[in-house]
Amino acid sequence: MKLAGLKSIENAHDESVWAATWVPATASRSALLLTGSLDETVKLWKPDDLILQRTNTGHCLGVASVAAHPSGMIAASSSLDSFIRVFDVDTNNTIATLEAPPSEVWQLRFDPKGTILAVAGGGSASVKLWDTATWNLVATLSIPRPEGPKPSDKTSSKKFVLSVAWSPDGRRIACGSMDGTITVFDVARAKFLHHLEGHYMPVRSLVYSPAEPRLLFSASDDTHVHMYDAEGKTLIGAMSGHASWVLSVDVSPDGAAIATGSSDRTVRLWDLSMRAAVQTMSNHTDQVWGVTFLSGGGACRLASVSDDKSISLYDYS
Amino acid sequence: MEEEKEAVLRQLEQSVEANPHDSALRFDLGLLLWEKWNETAEAKEKAAEHFLASAKLNPQNGVAFRYLGHYYSRVSLDIQRALKCYQRALSLNPEDSDSGEALCDLLDEGRKETLEVAACREASERSPRAFWAFRRLGYLQVHQNQWSEAVQSLQHAVRGYPTCADLWEALGLAYNRLGRFTAAIKSYGRTIELEPTRVFALVESGNIFLMLGSFKKGVEQFEQALQISPQCVSAYYGLASGLLGLAKECIHLGAFKWGATLLGEASQVAKTSTNLAGNLSCIWKLNGDIQLSYAQCYPWVEEDQGLEFNAEDFNASIFCWKNTCYLAAISAKFSYQRALLLAPWQANIYTDIAISSDLINTLNKRTGHDLDTWQPPEKMALGALLLEADNYDFWVTLGCLANHNALKQHALVRGLQLDVSLAVAWAYLGKLYRKNGEKQLAKQAFDCSRSIDPSLALPWAGMSADFHSRDTASDEGFESCLRAVQILPLVEFQIGLAKLALVSGHISSSQVFGAIRQAMQRAPHYPECHNLNGLFCESRFDYQSAIASYRLARFALISFSGNVSKSHVRDISINLARSLSRAGNALEALKECEILKKEGLLDAEGLQIYALSFWQLGKNDQALSEARNLAAGVSTMERKLAATSVSLICRLLYSISGLDSAVNSILKMPKELFQSSKISFIISAINALDQSNRLESVVSSSRNYLKSQDEISRMHSLIALGKLIKHGSEYCLAFQSGVAHLKKALHMYPNSCLLRSLLGYLLLSNEQWNDTHVATRCCNVGATYSPTKEGLKTAFEILGAGAVACYASSCSNPKFSFPTCSYQCLDEHGAIEQLQKCLHIEPWNQTIRYLLILNLLQKAREERFPHHLCIVLKRLISVALSNECYSNTDVPCQYQRFQLLLCASEISLQGGNQISCIDHAKNASSVMLPNVYLFFAHLLLCRAYAVEDDIMNLQKEYIRCLELKTNCQIGWICLKFIESRYKVQTETNILELSLKECSLERKNSQDMWMGVFYLAQSLICIQNQDFLSAEEFLAQACLLASPESCLQLCHGATCMELARNGSDSQFLSLAIRSLTKAQEASVIPLPIVSALLAQAEGSLGSKEKWKKNLRLEWFTWPPEMRPAELFFQMNLLARESEARSDTSQVESCQSPQKWFLRAIHTNPSCARYWKLLQKIVV
Repeated sequence: MKLAGLKSIENAHDESVWAATWVPATASRSALLLTGSLDETVKLWKPDDLILQRTNTGHCLGVASVAAHPSGMIAASSSLDSFIRVFDVDTNNTIATLEAPPSEVWQLRFDPKGTILAVAGGGSASVKLWDTATWNLVATLSIPRPEGPKPSDKTSSKKFVLSVAWSPDGRRIACGSMDGTITVFDVARAKFLHHLEGHYMPVRSLVYSPAEPRLLFSASDDTHVHMYDAEGKTLIGAMSGHASWVLSVDVSPDGAAIATGSSDRTVRLWDLSMRAAVQTMSNHTDQVWGVTFLSGGGACRLASVSDDKSISLYDYS
Repeated sequence: MEEEKEAVLRQLEQSVEANPHDSALRFDLGLLLWEKWNETAEAKEKAAEHFLASAKLNPQNGVAFRYLGHYYSRVSLDIQRALKCYQRALSLNPEDSDSGEALCDLLDEGRKETLEVAACREASERSPRAFWAFRRLGYLQVHQNQWSEAVQSLQHAVRGYPTCADLWEALGLAYNRLGRFTAAIKSYGRTIELEPTRVFALVESGNIFLMLGSFKKGVEQFEQALQISPQCVSAYYGLASGLLGLAKECIHLGAFKWGATLLGEASQVAKTSTNLAGNLSCIWKLNGDIQLSYAQCYPWVEEDQGLEFNAEDFNASIFCWKNTCYLAAISAKFSYQRALLLAPWQANIYTDIAISSDLINTLNKRTGHDLDTWQPPEKMALGALLLEADNYDFWVTLGCLANHNALKQHALVRGLQLDVSLAVAWAYLGKLYRKNGEKQLAKQAFDCSRSIDPSLALPWAGMSADFHSRDTASDEGFESCLRAVQILPLVEFQIGLAKLALVSGHISSSQVFGAIRQAMQRAPHYPECHNLNGLFCESRFDYQSAIASYRLARFALISFSGNVSKSHVRDISINLARSLSRAGNALEALKECEILKKEGLLDAEGLQIYALSFWQLGKNDQALSEARNLAAGVSTMERKLAATSVSLICRLLYSISGLDSAVNSILKMPKELFQSSKISFIISAINALDQSNRLESVVSSSRNYLKSQDEISRMHSLIALGKLIKHGSEYCLAFQSGVAHLKKALHMYPNSCLLRSLLGYLLLSNEQWNDTHVATRCCNVGATYSPTKEGLKTAFEILGAGAVACYASSCSNPKFSFPTCSYQCLDEHGAIEQLQKCLHIEPWNQTIRYLLILNLLQKAREERFPHHLCIVLKRLISVALSNECYSNTDVPCQYQRFQLLLCASEISLQGGNQISCIDHAKNASSVMLPNVYLFFAHLLLCRAYAVEDDIMNLQKEYIRCLELKTNCQIGWICLKFIESRYKVQTETNILELSLKECSLERKNSQDMWMGVFYLAQSLICIQNQDFLSAEEFLAQACLLASPESCLQLCHGATCMELARNGSDSQFLSLAIRSLTKAQEASVIPLPIVSALLAQAEGSLGSKEKWKKNLRLEWFTWPPEMRPAELFFQMNLLARESEARSDTSQVESCQSPQKWFLRAIHTNPSCARYWKLLQKIVV
C-alpha cells in the first residue's frame, strides 16, 4: 500500500484549515471535499484537481468541524461559537441552524444511515444526538462522573468531549475526552456502556473500522494511535512514531490501513497487519489537523488539511 | 388454428407430390409433422418417413439425421440406428449440440464412457465452437479426476455457456483441486451469483477462504450456506472452524474478550453439529480445540464498581474466573476423548489430550505430585509417539509436557534429530538450558531458533531475559521483549515487558500499558500484574485506579501466593501509601504508614510519605519528629533518595517553623547534602524570600549541580522572581530588576520559552504600563504549538492580555481608526486568530476563552459594535459566566468574572437593552474586589442611567464613584465627561484632584494623562461652543504632551475654527504650527491634518503650500474611504494645475470636471455641490 501525491493547494484558505471531510457522490455529481477554516469559511472542492466549487460564509468564529450526510445531499459545519449550520451541498441553502452554548459543540458526525447527527458536546461532557428529519434534539448521552470518594481536583470531575465516532452498524457511539478516556455508548438504549483506557492526554480523533464493527482507532496528544476492541474494552494495539500530538485519524475503506495527521507536520500511513508506519508524507509545513479517506467509486483518495492553510490530495493504492 | 395448420399441411403435401425429389420440401413436411402435429406415434412415423426420404435425397442434411436419431431413440427405440443417425448428424455438423447431447446420453446409458469421451473429443477437435462437446468433456474429465485437462475444457465451454452455473461450479472444483485457490473462489463466486442457492459452491469457497486465512469471508459463506440448507454438517463444521480461526486472530492481538465471545458462538455451532453427526471424530476434535482455546483465553473482568473492592469479592471473582477456565478445559478433554474413541488410530488426538490434561493440572494446581509416577499428559504424549515415532512435533510436545529435565532434553533433541530446522524445538531447548542455568547453551539455542524463524515469540523473550540479566543495554532487552509480546500476548512476556519498561524508562509507552492490562485479564491472581498496573496508572496521574490496583495486588499476594514475603508486602503498601498521598487522601496514607511502622517495615520512602501525611493533616509536631527521623538516616541513603529526603525536610521546616528556623537549620546541615539540582531549587526559593541573604554561599555552591539547559533557565526564572521580591518595596514588586535579569538570561538562552514568557508576564505586570507592546513581541507564539504549562503564563495568554492592554497592538484595520501610537505596534500575530487557534487546541481552557472575549470586545468596539459580533460575544460571555470555576473566591477568578460582567453589560448597553445592562453592572458591583475596580461597575451604571434619563440614580452612582475612587486615570476622565454632559451637581474640582493624585503613582505617564484630561475638558468646552477656552485647554495639553499628534490636530482644528469665526488672525499661525507638528509626529499619516493645513496655508496666501498639503491629504485616506469633500478639493486643485499644465501630479489624472462629478456622486446630498454644478454647466 502506498500514497502518491496528486495535488496540493497552497493558501486554499486565508487561515489555518481545521477540518475536512468528503461529501459522497450523488447521482448528479462526483464526490466533493469539504473543508473548514479559522477564516470562518467552509469551502467545497472538486477532485482530482481541487477546483474550488463554492465558498460558504456565515460563521462568526473559526470553523472547528465539518460533517457530510451519507446521502451526499446535506452537510453540517460548526464553529467555535457553537452554531451548527446544516446546509444543502448543491445549493448552499441553510436547512437548519442548531444552537448550543459555546464550547458545547465540537466534532460532528452523521450516523451511517443518516438519520441522526451526533455532536461531541465539549464542556457539557456529553454527546448530543439531533434528528436529521426534524432537527430536534433527541437524546443526550452523558458521561457519568467518576464515583471516587472525592475528586482529586476540580477540572477532572468534568470531561471535555472532543471527538465522536459511529460504529459502521450504527449501534454504538464512541467519544473521546480531554483526559484521554474514550467512552462507548449504546445508541438504541441511549445508555453508557464503558470507558476505554490507555490514553492520558486529549483524544482528538476517533474512527471505527468499516470492516469490523468492534474495532476502534483513536488518535491522542500522547503521540500514540491506539486500536481497541471497543466491545471487550481491551487495548489491542498501539502504534507510535509521531513526534508530537496525533490530531486526526481515518481508516482506509478496505480497513487495511489508517492515515494519521499530526502536530509534527506529517501525514503517516500505517499498515495494520504490520502495526507500523509504512509511509510518511512531510509536504505540510505546519500541523496537520485533518486527514480523510474518500470511499466508494474507483480509486481511493486521501485528503489532508493543515495549519499552513494548504490542502493536499493523495492517491491511496 | 387447426384449419390453418391443415391448410399448410395440405399445401406442403401437394408440393411434395408435385416435386417428389425435392429434399428440402420433404424435410419441411417432416418437420411440420414432427413438431406441429399431434404428438402421436403415427404422425411421428410419418414424419420419420419424410426425414428418411429427405436424407436419402440430400445426404448432407444433418438436421434430418438428427430428427431420425430422435425418432429411433424415442419412438421406435432402436438404439443402434439412433446412434448411427446421431453420429452421422455430428459428422455433418459437429456444433449440433442436440445431437451431441443425445448421442452422449445414449452412450452414457449404455455405460460406454470411453466412446462418449471419444465422441466429445472428436467434435471438440473438429470445431472450436462445439461448446457442448467441451462442456461434456469437461464434466467427464472432472469425473475422472483429470483436473488440468478439465480446466482447459471447462474454460472453453464457459465461453459458450457463460450463464451455466453447473459449468462454473465444475470449473471452481477443478481449480480448487489444482490448488489455484483465487481462481477457484472466483468461479464459485460466479456460480453463487448465477444461482444463490448453490450450497456446494458456498461451502467449498468457504473452505478455501479458511485455508487462505480470510476467516471472516469464510464465515460469511458458511452462514449463507446454512440459511439455504440448515442441516448441512460440513457448513456447520466450516462455520465453527472459521469462528475458531477468527477467535485465534483476536487472541493473538490480545483481544481476549472478543476471542471469548467468538469462541462462545463457535462452541454453540460445534454443539449443533455434534448433534447432527455425533460419530465424526473431526467434529469432536474441533469442539475440543474450541474449548481448549476458550480455557486459554477467557479473561478475568474487573467489575466496574471496582474502586471499593474488598478481599472476598476479589477472591470470589478470581475463583469464578478460574472455574470457568477449568470447566472449559475439562470439556475440551472430554471432547478429545470422544474423538479418540471414534478414531483411535489418529496420533495427534493423543497429544491433544495430553495438552488439555496438562492445562487442567495447572488450573487445578496439582503440580506438587510424585515425580516417579507417570502423569496422564506424559503418557498420552508417549501414546502419540508409539503410533508415529518419526513425527517431530510429537517429540516437541513430549519435551514440553514431560516432568523430568532429562526426558525433556532427550525429547527435544530427538525432535531436532528428525528435523534440524525445527525452530520451536530449539526455542524450548533454550528455555530448558536457561532454567538449568546454562546460559551460554541457552543463548546459542535461542539464536538458532530466531535465525530459523524470526516470528517465534519465545526466543525474543529469551533474548530479552538475557539482556536483562546482564544489566546492560536495557533498551535492547525492552525491544526484544516488546517484539515477543507483539507476536504472542502471553502473560509472562507481558509482565516481563512491564518490568523492563520500568527499568528502561519506557513507562509512558502505550504498548506496555496495553500489555499489562491484557496480563491482568489472564493472570489476575498474580500480584505483580496489579502492582505494575498501579505503577503505570500512577505515572499517568490516575491515582484512584492506581490505589485500586495496589489494593488488588495486596489481596492477590495474600490469597494466592504460597509464601508471602515481607518485602513484597512492604513494596506494595508503600506504593499504595504514595498513591493515596498523591490523590490527596492523607488520612488513608497515614494509616497505611502506621501499619507498616508497627511491623517495622517503614523505610526512607515510607517515612517521607509518613511525614508528609502528618503535615497535610496539620499535625505539625509529628511531622517534624518524623522529618527528624528521616534526617537521621540521610547519610546512609543512596544519592537520589537522599536528595528527595533533604528537599522534603527543607520544605517541611519552612512550612512549619517558618523562614528563620528553616534558614538556620539549613545552615547547620552538612554541605555535602546539597549536591543536587533538586535541592538547589528549594534552597534558592527559600533564599529568595530571605531578605538578609543568609543562604547565599550554600545556594551558590549548590547551583554548580545544575546541568541541563532546562534546569538552568528554570533557575534563572526563579532568580528573577526572587529579585522582584528582594528589590521591591513592601507594596510594590521590583519589576525592573526582574526584567533586567531576564533580559540578560534571555541573551544567554535565546530559545528558552520559559524565560520568554516570564519576561512577557513581567513586562505586562509592570505598573508603568508602557511596555505592553514589547511584551507581546518577546514571546514567540509561532514557534511553540503546544501551550504547555511551563512557567506562570503561556505565550498565548501573554499575547492575548497584551493585545487587550495595548490598544494599538490590536487595532489593525484603517477602515475603523487611525492609530497615532508612536510605538508602531504592528499586529503581526493577529491576536484574535492566535487565541482562536489556541482555543481550538485547548477548548477547555477558561483563561484563553476569557482573553478571546476581551479581544473580541475590543474589536467590536473598534467596529462600532456590529450586530453579529455582539451576538457572538453575548453567547460566549453567558457560557463563560456559567462556568463553575468562577465560584472560586480568589481574586484573579473574581476579577475575570467582574470583567466578563462588565463586558456583558457593555454589550447590552450598546444593544439598547438598559435593563440587562444595569443588571449585569449591579452584579459586577457586588463582586468581592478592591474599590479601584468596582469604580468601573458604577461608572457603567452611570452611563446606563444616563441613557435612561434617570438623573436621580445617575447622581447616586456618580457620588458612589467619587467615594470608591480608582487608580485608573481613564476612569476619572470618563467620569468627567458624564459630569459635564449630564450636569451632575458636584464639588468643583474633586475630579481633577483625584486624577492628579492617581497620576502621581505613575510618574512616567503623568503629563500624558494630564494632557488627555485637558483634551477632555476642551471637548466639553467645544460642546458648549466655547472655543476660546477650548483652545486654552488644548494649548496646555499640547505643552504637556507635545509628541501626541492627536492633541496637536485638535488644537489646530480649534484654532482654525476660531480663525474662521474671525476672532484673531494669530490663530491661523498657531493652527499652522500645531498642524505641522501633528503632521510630523504621526506614525501613519493622519487624514484631515493636511487638508486643514492646506486651508490654513491657503488663507495666508501661500498657494504652493496649499497645493502640496492637499496632495499629501489625498494619500492619507484609504481608497475606499475618501470623502466627497476630498474629491471636491482635488477638483479645485486640478483646475489650478490645469492652468499650469502640470501633468505629473495626482490631481491631473482626470479632468477637474470628473473630480467634481465624483464628489457629487460620493455625496449627492450636499446642496453646495449642486449649486456649483449649475454654475459650471451654465
